[in-house]
Amino acid sequence: MERTTQGTPVVKLTGVSFQYEDKVVLDEVGFTLERGDFVGIVGPNGSGKSTLMKLILGLLSPTKGTVELFGQPLPKFREWNRIGYVAQQVAHGAGGFPATVREVVASGLVGKVGLFRRLTTRHHESVKNAVERVGLSAKLDQRIGSLSGGQLQRVFIARALVAEPELLILDEPTVGVDQESIEQFYGLLRSLKEENGLTMMIVSHDVGVMTQWVNKVACIQKKIHFHGTAHDFEHNQEKILESMYGGSMKLLSHHH
Amino acid sequence: MLADWWQYDFLRYTLFSGILIGLICPVLGTFLIVRRLSMMADGLSHVTLSGVAAGMLVSKKIAFFSAVNPLFFGMLFAVVGSLFIERLRKVYKAYQDLAIPIILSAGLGLFTVLISVADGFNADLYSYLFGKIVTVSIEDLYALIGVAVVVLGTVVLIYKELFAVSFDEEFARVSGVARRSINLWFMVLVALTIAASMRIVGVLLISALITLPVAASLQIAGSFRQTIFFSILFAETSVLSGLYFAYLLDWASGGTIVLMAVLILLVVLGAKKLRVLLR
Repeated sequence: MERTTQGTPVVKLTGVSFQYEDKVVLDEVGFTLERGDFVGIVGPNGSGKSTLMKLILGLLSPTKGTVELFGQPLPKFREWNRIGYVAQQVAHGAGGFPATVREVVASGLVGKVGLFRRLTTRHHESVKNAVERVGLSAKLDQRIGSLSGGQLQRVFIARALVAEPELLILDEPTVGVDQESIEQFYGLLRSLKEENGLTMMIVSHDVGVMTQWVNKVACIQKKIHFHGTAHDFEHNQEKILESMYGGSMKLLSHHH
Repeated sequence: MLADWWQYDFLRYTLFSGILIGLICPVLGTFLIVRRLSMMADGLSHVTLSGVAAGMLVSKKIAFFSAVNPLFFGMLFAVVGSLFIERLRKVYKAYQDLAIPIILSAGLGLFTVLISVADGFNADLYSYLFGKIVTVSIEDLYALIGVAVVVLGTVVLIYKELFAVSFDEEFARVSGVARRSINLWFMVLVALTIAASMRIVGVLLISALITLPVAASLQIAGSFRQTIFFSILFAETSVLSGLYFAYLLDWASGGTIVLMAVLILLVVLGAKKLRVLLR
């Protein structure tokens, strides 16, 4: 397990287990995310990587163990605007929704602005900036239905960024995005990390591409099988994947 | 002919009611449709119907209730029905649309039993089913004004929360939006709107006024705000022209309004097609 370096970890899971009825999805998982980390979460389907993410977002509660966000136990945590979330795009089916890029990105401010309050000029300004940050200024007032998969994904990034989070969590963000846009997409994430100092956690089954961009990797299959630098992961990849998959290496040859 | 609308109280009440309905139905309808809950209005309207029947029955049998407007029973039933739908949607997480036929059948079953117990009702019931101009009373209008103020006030005050929850419920939840309370309150508003709109459009046709103007608006709107704006425009056009022709030709007001809404939808679809062809 990793040692805590300086400051409070952004995310800290201690002895976390989760089960659906009889099926144990996560078993005594310990996991720490330090400020400035760009962590890729790797694991086969049903390995619990999405569950891990939902536990961190408070969408699920652990059966056992504790989740801490920015040093606060999850049940007490209220500062949700410190966390940005980008979900798997196909889960949205949002293309037909009659909203513009501007409207969707502005909805990312809903938690920050607060109930009964209206967006101020400053908020509208930050919406514009977030859209510009992902390179979609030209599409600001277009309906999201007219965008490509890659562009739509960038809209969701902008929606997550607009509230200026410290931690960005992305769930399979490249599903339904073409190969060329994927490179661009990771380039954007890297610059967000370097220029804005964001901490990021990304769940993806596309290990080959992802591990080239992140600086840490965590492998999950009910338990954490590896948690270290991307460099160490590449060098020990075969061994790690073998221990997780029991020899079959389907994961790496998986392409869309 | 047009002057009649100012001369007679009942026509004035109808006109004002119609304008209010043409405002709140499409506003709520926009949120319902983008959340794929357009059938909700149908389910709730049948529950409301059973409430109205129950109200008529007790006012007939129990002297104490004889002065109570059956509409209030309809509202009560509709609100309880909406709470049931939310509950059922949680029980059947994987089959959320199942909640609607369940509640619809229950409402209709209860309605027919109540009618048989009461040994049939007078023509008044017909007006609740299909809408009739002469039946709008000042009391109905006051109830509708109350509902309209609450509905519009809510939408103005929590517009961004409603948008966030409608667009992406999970994201809204992660943002800390109290999505359960918002969903529940929204369903209560839909229930109240249906109950209050019954006299004009009739229970069986109310869902048409909630969905048709929005369906037309979705075709041409460039944003979510525009979707709401155009759906109000189409609904008001349907209501005003529908009421006018219903009175002129002595047709059922509900049916005429709905036919106008259908006509608008066809015109919008046709115009869009034509634009593509001419390009």
